Amino acid sequence: MIRFDEVSQRYPGGHEALKQVSFELERGEMAFLTGRSGAGKSTLLKCIMRTESLSQGQILVHGRNIQRISEKQIPFYRRRIGVVFQDHQLLYDRSVYENVALPLRIDGYSEHDAARRVRAALDKVGLLKKEKMNPVALSGGEQQRVGIARAVVNRPQILLADEPTGNLDPELAADIMKLFEQFNQIGVSMLIASHDLALITRLRHRMLTLDNGQLIRDEQHPSRQGGRPA
Amino acid sequence: MKARTGNKRPASASSPNKKLAPREWLRQHRFCLKDALQRLYSQPVNTFMTLMVIGVALLLPALLFVLGSNLSQFGNRLAETGQITAYFHANSTASEHQTLVTTLQADERISEVHYISTEQAMGDFANWSGLGDVMNNLDHNPLPASLDIHLPASDLTDINTLAEALASDPLIELVQVDEQWLVRLEQILTLSDRIVLVLVVVLAMAVLFIVGNSIRTLIANRSDEIQVMNLIGATKQYMARPFLWLGFCYGLFGGVIAWLFLALMLLFIHEPASALLGFYGSEYQLIGLGWQASLSLLLGSALLGWLGARISVSRHLTKS
Repeated sequence: MIRFDEVSQRYPGGHEALKQVSFELERGEMAFLTGRSGAGKSTLLKCIMRTESLSQGQILVHGRNIQRISEKQIPFYRRRIGVVFQDHQLLYDRSVYENVALPLRIDGYSEHDAARRVRAALDKVGLLKKEKMNPVALSGGEQQRVGIARAVVNRPQILLADEPTGNLDPELAADIMKLFEQFNQIGVSMLIASHDLALITRLRHRMLTLDNGQLIRDEQHPSRQGGRPA
Repeated sequence: MKARTGNKRPASASSPNKKLAPREWLRQHRFCLKDALQRLYSQPVNTFMTLMVIGVALLLPALLFVLGSNLSQFGNRLAETGQITAYFHANSTASEHQTLVTTLQADERISEVHYISTEQAMGDFANWSGLGDVMNNLDHNPLPASLDIHLPASDLTDINTLAEALASDPLIELVQVDEQWLVRLEQILTLSDRIVLVLVVVLAMAVLFIVGNSIRTLIANRSDEIQVMNLIGATKQYMARPFLWLGFCYGLFGGVIAWLFLALMLLFIHEPASALLGFYGSEYQLIGLGWQASLSLLLGSALLGWLGARISVSRHLTKS
């Protein structure tokens, strides 16, 4: 689904955010990307979104070298990937419903189809009753759920999350992770950046560890079959 | 990946390259227009200021245009009235005068010839000047007989050749042509046309900058939204659309304000202007912009607003 081949990324000014990173995320797999702040987790996700370009190597998504995607085609590529941000990135000038509907509006869904999908997504994250509210009125955990609903409303095959539980207390964080596992169970491939080791080691998924831009560990949870060598 | 049923994507979104269906496209534009109007309405003070600046900028060339068209109408009217006055020698006789009048009346270039005899000239002068008593006391009539010659078209070459021909006639002592006046008027009109043109260009640029700057501020205010849109796959066109409509609205409403200002101004000066112009012809009317120029003003200003937004968007929205 997502394959990194010797990917390096250097910011202007010389700082090397990623160094020769290689791994492959299988279709329907869920993996955590961990490491200290500044280890390159966000950069790695940004490279998949193509908001950062590579200085070396290649990334294949759906078997396609994403560096070859033309500038014009990038929006269409991005529509097939859901993203969840640490700070939710919700728009506070519109309702919960409108926030979740945004990707569908961009994609040109009819009002009728959009309404159905938005409600389905809100139902999944347990916020169906709050669709008319402004996100400001919601708690941090609820806001993050709105962010997740927006990321999945388009039914992407890949879901990326950058520190989705960074601002949440442990209980809410665990809830959010459970939600991600539910999406994973219906076949969505997931890559979640998180430095919350206490939480993610409890969840039994593959863990990719970055340190100073290098992939230093790639461990499959022992309880899972078909684990790959570190 | 598990097969999912009911994953029905709309036809318009099934292929990433495919254009939106026309109905959907229209719906999005309607949505953006509504959004633009709401945004203008939600910041009334800001909107009012911007629209006033645009309106005043557009008012200037429109005003000059109206001034120019009134002047040229006025000029044409004057050009239609008597252009050549020829004065007879004092020692020529009335019968000689009549022969010349007959010849001139046969001339195709001339529409009317008025013969003013010495007596008639005296009477007119006495009436007009109010010096009747003084004139009656003169022992001889000092005023010569004259001809008022009207030409149908205000063609200067016709007037000049005719004036030269008359000047060489032994019966004629002096020929007066309003030529100087007409040439000057024409020069004034050319000048005013040029000034309108220069003002249109300069103020169109001003409108571009005003709209461009307003849109730049709006883009900066909505940078969060643009960032999110960019990440969830909005195309540049999609993100630009609300701003282009905003620019269009700025321009159009600015044009409407300019038009209203102009209409009010014309209404304000109508009475004194008509009174003044009435001396030169009763049917003379102060002319406004007219529907063609009004339409051009509104369309042009809307287009300018759109263009200003377009420039601003291409400069400030492209950073993804």
